[in-house]
Amino acid sequence: MRGARHGTMNALQRIAAAAMSRDLCGFVVPGAEIARTVGIDLGDAGLRLSATPRHANVLVVIGRLPAGLLDAACVVYAQMPRPRAILTLGTNDISPLPVPDATGPLTQAGLEAAIADIRRIFAMAAFQPDVENFEAPTLETSTEYTCPMHPEVVQEAPGNCPKCGMTLVERETAGSVHRGHAVPEQKREVAAQKHSKPVAVCHDRSKGGHSADGDNHEQHKTHGSGHKQHHMRAKPDNTEAPLQYTCPMHPEVVSDEAGSCPKCGMHLVPVAEAGGHSGHDHKAHGKAHDEHSTDNHRGGHGGHGGSERVEGVEAHFMSMVDLTRDMPASADGLKMEWIDVPFGPFFPGLPGGLQLKLTLDGDAVATTSADSLVGSSDPLRANPSSPIEFVDHLAALSPLSPIAYRLLACLALEQAAGQSVAPDIARARLAVVERERVASHLGWLAVFGAQSGSSWIEKRAAAFQLKVQGAAATDVTTLKPKLSTFLAKLQRTPLLAARLSGIGQLPANDTLSGPVARASGMASDTRSDDPVYAEIGFSVLTMTDGDALARLVQRCNEITQSLDLISAVGSVARLEPHSIGAASGTGEAVVETPRGAARLSLTLHKGKVIAADIKTPTTAHLTLIGDVAEGQELGDALTGIGSLDISPWEVTS
Amino acid sequence: MTVLIVLVALAVGAYLVAVLESWAVHGRLEPARPAISALALLGRESLLARTPDRLFFEAGPVVLLVAGLLAVAVIPLAPGLIVTDLATGALFLNAALAYVLVALIMAGWGPNGAYAMIGGWRFLGQFVAYAMLIVMPITAVAMRAESLSTVDIVTSQSALWNIAYQPLGFVLFVTAAMGLCWLPPLDLPTAPGDLAGGIEAEYTGARLAVLRLARMVLIMALAGATVTFYLGGWLGPWLPAWAWSAIKILFVAGLMVSVGRLVPRVREAQYLEISWKLGIPLALANIFLVGVITLVVPI
Amino acid sequence: MNALTQYGVLFGLTLGTIGFVLCFYLLACAIGSTRREPGKDVPATAGSLSRDPVWVRYHAKYYGYALLFLAFDMEMAFMYPWAVVYREEGLTALLDMGVFLAILFLGLLYGWSQGALRRQE
Repeated sequence: MRGARHGTMNALQRIAAAAMSRDLCGFVVPGAEIARTVGIDLGDAGLRLSATPRHANVLVVIGRLPAGLLDAACVVYAQMPRPRAILTLGTNDISPLPVPDATGPLTQAGLEAAIADIRRIFAMAAFQPDVENFEAPTLETSTEYTCPMHPEVVQEAPGNCPKCGMTLVERETAGSVHRGHAVPEQKREVAAQKHSKPVAVCHDRSKGGHSADGDNHEQHKTHGSGHKQHHMRAKPDNTEAPLQYTCPMHPEVVSDEAGSCPKCGMHLVPVAEAGGHSGHDHKAHGKAHDEHSTDNHRGGHGGHGGSERVEGVEAHFMSMVDLTRDMPASADGLKMEWIDVPFGPFFPGLPGGLQLKLTLDGDAVATTSADSLVGSSDPLRANPSSPIEFVDHLAALSPLSPIAYRLLACLALEQAAGQSVAPDIARARLAVVERERVASHLGWLAVFGAQSGSSWIEKRAAAFQLKVQGAAATDVTTLKPKLSTFLAKLQRTPLLAARLSGIGQLPANDTLSGPVARASGMASDTRSDDPVYAEIGFSVLTMTDGDALARLVQRCNEITQSLDLISAVGSVARLEPHSIGAASGTGEAVVETPRGAARLSLTLHKGKVIAADIKTPTTAHLTLIGDVAEGQELGDALTGIGSLDISPWEVTS
Repeated sequence: MTVLIVLVALAVGAYLVAVLESWAVHGRLEPARPAISALALLGRESLLARTPDRLFFEAGPVVLLVAGLLAVAVIPLAPGLIVTDLATGALFLNAALAYVLVALIMAGWGPNGAYAMIGGWRFLGQFVAYAMLIVMPITAVAMRAESLSTVDIVTSQSALWNIAYQPLGFVLFVTAAMGLCWLPPLDLPTAPGDLAGGIEAEYTGARLAVLRLARMVLIMALAGATVTFYLGGWLGPWLPAWAWSAIKILFVAGLMVSVGRLVPRVREAQYLEISWKLGIPLALANIFLVGVITLVVPI
Repeated sequence: MNALTQYGVLFGLTLGTIGFVLCFYLLACAIGSTRREPGKDVPATAGSLSRDPVWVRYHAKYYGYALLFLAFDMEMAFMYPWAVVYREEGLTALLDMGVFLAILFLGLLYGWSQGALRRQE
């Protein structure tokens, strides 16, 4: 086992290994919702799932991981404590992760066999005398040496800055030395004003922790590495060119750019403010700062010329107003530090593959940045591609709702070839798509249950989803009463309205699509234009509030509606495109996927697809994440983002 | 000697409640699961974050365990079966439980990780919400018993249990107790959906085992406190005193760990608002009501 | 047992707990030690590496509640001894404490009206 712990299997280790083989805890990549769409019930196979890689000992990889997720999977694997194992279903090659310890086909039986293998491996090989570290390119760091006053000066060896002669300080950055000057990972594309966040208080706290060390140089170096990460955020692009910055404690330090004082790490302030203060009360900095200054800069206090001295108080008093001058203010006017926290791509309450970075002001979200690591850019894998290839490829691009995209491809192909299908096949296709809608909404309910902490909702919705997914029409009709009872009980859950109402309010506008749009009052549903639906008796359902509660109720209502439609049709069929022959032409189709309207236009040439263009609803919904989350408390923001039902797989770049 | 018996009883009780909790969460009754988990955690690596506050990180689970055990030390399981029958038992219980906050803030601050830190500070908000609602009902209970000693509080209920005498206080105390041991729906510091494990996430291996043990001990302490203050402690017909204690404490603890999983997590802002705008006036009203009733009714 | 012995027992319990935890850690150490690998010690943040320190001034939104909590906590410190002697003191005790509680309750109402009892964004 590659992820074994170093050691030999003595009695103690044997007992621990036997216990570990019975206590498997898995972290699922890309997410449990993908497993359910394929029909795999992880809990049923005896695997407990964990929200964090730290509590897991098996990394479960479902299906082939797209390239964008491999790095993140490496990070997750590296953060699991040893002994750890990898279980893959439906794929074998997951490099740069190590070779999987157990693998199997993408079925429930395959999962159970693989889990039995993993149990055996744990019991026998959890401790091994020779283990190797797990290395991957994303995990590498290298130490660089940079000048605190001139962040553009970076060297690989210690030395002095060529511009000002200061000793270079260490900094840990992502990336290997061989990649050249790697970008320090704290640099981000954020507003300039945020970069001048004061680092003074943060530094001093970390300095306070280190000031117990006696070694001055060591202190300075660790301070350096501690605060350089923040220093690098200070982009040297302030527009007031003639303004100079100085350190309140060390007036001899003068710099053209905002940043940190190289001697004590305090936030540099514009010269005008620093000089004119009398009195001194370093209450924000406290003891640590004074200790530091006495230890390292004995001569530093000599040079305070030009300010009045008050008895018993040091010169160069900096009030909190001055210290926090450049910081962004929260809504209540307070200026506190903001932190950048990533919430993806494998966050338990959010869809897997969504890379979300939130800037948190306390526990409220200040800014968001959302991106999909698993989006697709080209609906055509090979050019030209045969119709069957094209349909399969389009379905594979969206694992959370493959059938809707299959139908989209089939309809576009048939329209391009100028064909139409028999009405009974059209009705059977309708039933399949509606069945997938039910399954997709139930899957969303399960993710909502997981995010909001109600394990009852999560388990029941997941169980129903697995039952509905491959069911024949008669089975679906039998499930209907139980499902209706569940949905009714769900909407009556105490505290549900308290949790959801008012969150993620979105006014009706054109970027919305699908249940999100209908919950905001827009009667936009492409199914209402479809004659097959009209024949069965379909009418658009809407809600008025446009908040997360309305979206939940909307999806529950749509589940009930889809079940009625399936019962009215009475049979489900597998989606295959009609034989096109050697037709040429252009075709367009629209399908109401569970998340909104998807549009496909393609060009056929002699029976092969040579061009295709797809518009998915989720691409527009990604832009709504900011509206829904910013200014909200973290839990509310995540609930709001979840209520949008974003499928990162469908995001087209 | 009594110390040993109480500790053994605590261990057995905590084990049973752990089995109940895993049944409530995972749907399967696996009696050997807590022992297997503990052994498995022993065998795993115990990781330390890269720039931690070592003192806080190590101290968090230990302080939590100590707080829980000190709280258990004043819970009477039978006449004479109590570790220390302090004259100020109820007050001491409250004082020991205050260290739960300290432990969780330490656990949140220690690993220098975002999720843990937010979990810790969220727990502070939760503390501001539940703290008064633990203290005020205890005051009302002490008014009836004319003493802060937990033994006297139990004997004062021989005519009528406090749950019937002060039902308002009982409801407030139990919900605040669930907030104190961060059980769902008040599991803000370790929310799996919001914070991917929160304060618990950075603990692995032996430290995680101690943290989980400490949490179980805390749940038992709070169940014991509920039973002592409101459900008549060891009082009851036919069965021996320790049996009644055991039944009641296990029943309350089982309810605490399973009921909350049916509802979604409470939002922190709402929890604070409800606690302060509704909870505290109700608690004050409870004290006033109990004051009037104790003067009028002799039991 | 007199009070001093009782506190001695509790202190012993504390020390015993710490000793138990240390033994547990020693046992875990005997089984194996932690291996240092790249990326393992970065705090887990759902698949992205984030080495930023988070020890910053946290903007707690509940500071209004916390200030009122201080006042009420002091009140409860006075109520403990009052509760013990309440029954024997009778109606005067009720009225005395009632006045005190009423004043504090008015303080709560004032804070509520001024917007202290809400999430301070």
